[in-house]
Amino acid sequence: MATKYVMGLFKQEDQAVAAIGELKESAWPLHRTHSPIPSHKISTALGLKDSRVGWFTLCGGILGFFTGFALAIFTALRWELIVSGKPVVALVPFIIVGFEFTILFAIFGNLIGMLVLSRLSRPENLENYDPRCSGELFGILSSCSDEEKEGLSTLFARNGGETREFE
Amino acid sequence: MTELTFSKIDQTVLDTLRPASGRYWLVVFLLALGIMIGASCWLYQIFTGIGVAGMNIPVAWGTYLINFVFWVGIAHSGTLISAILHLFRAGWRNPIARAAETMTVFAVCTAGLFPFIHLGRVWLVYYMLPIPTQRTLWPNFQSPLMFDVVAISTYLTVSSLFWYTGMLPDLARIRDTAEGVRKKIFTALSLGWTGEHEQWRHYTRIYLFFAALATPLVISVHSVVSWDFALGIVPGWHTTIFAPYFVAGAIHSGLAMVLTLMIPLRKIFSYEKIITVHVLESVAKTIIFTGLIVGFAYGTEYFIAWYSHNMVEMDTFSWRATGDYAYGFWIMVVCNTMVPLLFFFKKIRTSIAWLFGISIIVNIGMWFERFVIIIGSVGHDFLPNAWGLYAPTLVEMGIMLGSFSLFFFLFVLFVKHLPSVSMTEMKESVAEGEGHGH
Repeated sequence: MATKYVMGLFKQEDQAVAAIGELKESAWPLHRTHSPIPSHKISTALGLKDSRVGWFTLCGGILGFFTGFALAIFTALRWELIVSGKPVVALVPFIIVGFEFTILFAIFGNLIGMLVLSRLSRPENLENYDPRCSGELFGILSSCSDEEKEGLSTLFARNGGETREFE
Repeated sequence: MTELTFSKIDQTVLDTLRPASGRYWLVVFLLALGIMIGASCWLYQIFTGIGVAGMNIPVAWGTYLINFVFWVGIAHSGTLISAILHLFRAGWRNPIARAAETMTVFAVCTAGLFPFIHLGRVWLVYYMLPIPTQRTLWPNFQSPLMFDVVAISTYLTVSSLFWYTGMLPDLARIRDTAEGVRKKIFTALSLGWTGEHEQWRHYTRIYLFFAALATPLVISVHSVVSWDFALGIVPGWHTTIFAPYFVAGAIHSGLAMVLTLMIPLRKIFSYEKIITVHVLESVAKTIIFTGLIVGFAYGTEYFIAWYSHNMVEMDTFSWRATGDYAYGFWIMVVCNTMVPLLFFFKKIRTSIAWLFGISIIVNIGMWFERFVIIIGSVGHDFLPNAWGLYAPTLVEMGIMLGSFSLFFFLFVLFVKHLPSVSMTEMKESVAEGEGHGH
């Protein structure tokens, strides 16, 4: 029995949220949703937890802090020249280097976190995807057998959506 | 705002990416010509020597450093608008955030050229990088100039990544409406973005972190630039007020540049329904605020000089207002602190012509502020026998023309090839109904 991927496309966020609720109570799976804007209502309806990307950011920041200090201390010790009567390893000015590296590495961590967690750059991202979802429509992707196709379409239509089938 | 729908926003922004007219390419050509003039001047300087610039003892820091500080300053309001106002949930920032972020990236690129130009022997620039070489000589991170290298390169990296990440959903929108080679390019650029809930879940969080990290960064960067001066013992520079004074001035000039860029952009691309008068008015109100801070800083400098009873300090500030460069000082005071007060009148801050005119005046004033700070101190420091004057040469003028041309060249290319208004953030504004137009 061939599985059909069916996407419900909604003009209104609330319609999509209602359809998600109904779909979750049905036997049909909810593979993913697409939306042109971030939606708290959809996140709540899907029961999503907060992103853990902040851990990447934090790790990046901590690494950056120590890297900045280590770099400044290392370069100072390579040429032990006393400048303006300050100690060779002068921690106060090195705070600036440490601070800038903290921000820089935290941003790298932030970005790596997103790339890893949201699985961007996968070719299959664009499979079973309707390009209108980046424009004005909210999409909900589900799947069913050929026989159940009509029932799934009815569910989407009941909530004000149109249906698109993928092979 | 109520007239806007998701599809109208897309249509308005995507229309700007259609093939450009002959007039557009003429502007691009003229700006490229300006860049060529600047590049030729720089080449001439490289082959002849730094002496072709007007800088000499005692004024060894001239227009190159003035332009460096000017462009770093311009860069700051992009981050103010995209990061700080994002944290404050100021809805009016959404229509102009993208263009302001772009302005930041290009202004930092332009600013970054000036230390290279000022260096004279530009091929020795790698001395500033912490890399192992046969010289076994490493940079000393106790120097404020090395703080600058770290701060500016961090700022360029962070603001470029912030700009690109913020554009991902819009790049995906272009991919979904494009065809042929263009589709392939935007497929690569959009990194497989589909607006999936998992993507939004992480994206919204990293955007928040980007904003939260860019905010202290932007404050640190211009503080570090100010310490290039304040950590020297030159009268007029050696003051603790410099960091906040520079940050406020940077945002002041950057906001003025936002108006200078947004007003023609709005007209040319028919963005009137997106970049409403209310948005421009909000920028104008912020300019009043930053102008008052800058005015307060000018006054405080004089107060500190008088209160210290330091003869050299008092003489430097007296000379600034009455000496050879008094014209620069008064241009600075009038353009940066008095003219923006006109924005207190609603009629003026809602008039496009006034907004544009005043934004240009503030830009001029802020350039002269850097002139007064830099030349006004080194030209007239401790010893009367070491006093001296400075005037930029044609080579410096050419390089300055080149820098302005480069900035506008990059911006003009950007507005026709990438979305100059964030479609996603505009849609969010529409969805939330927190109209900037109301």
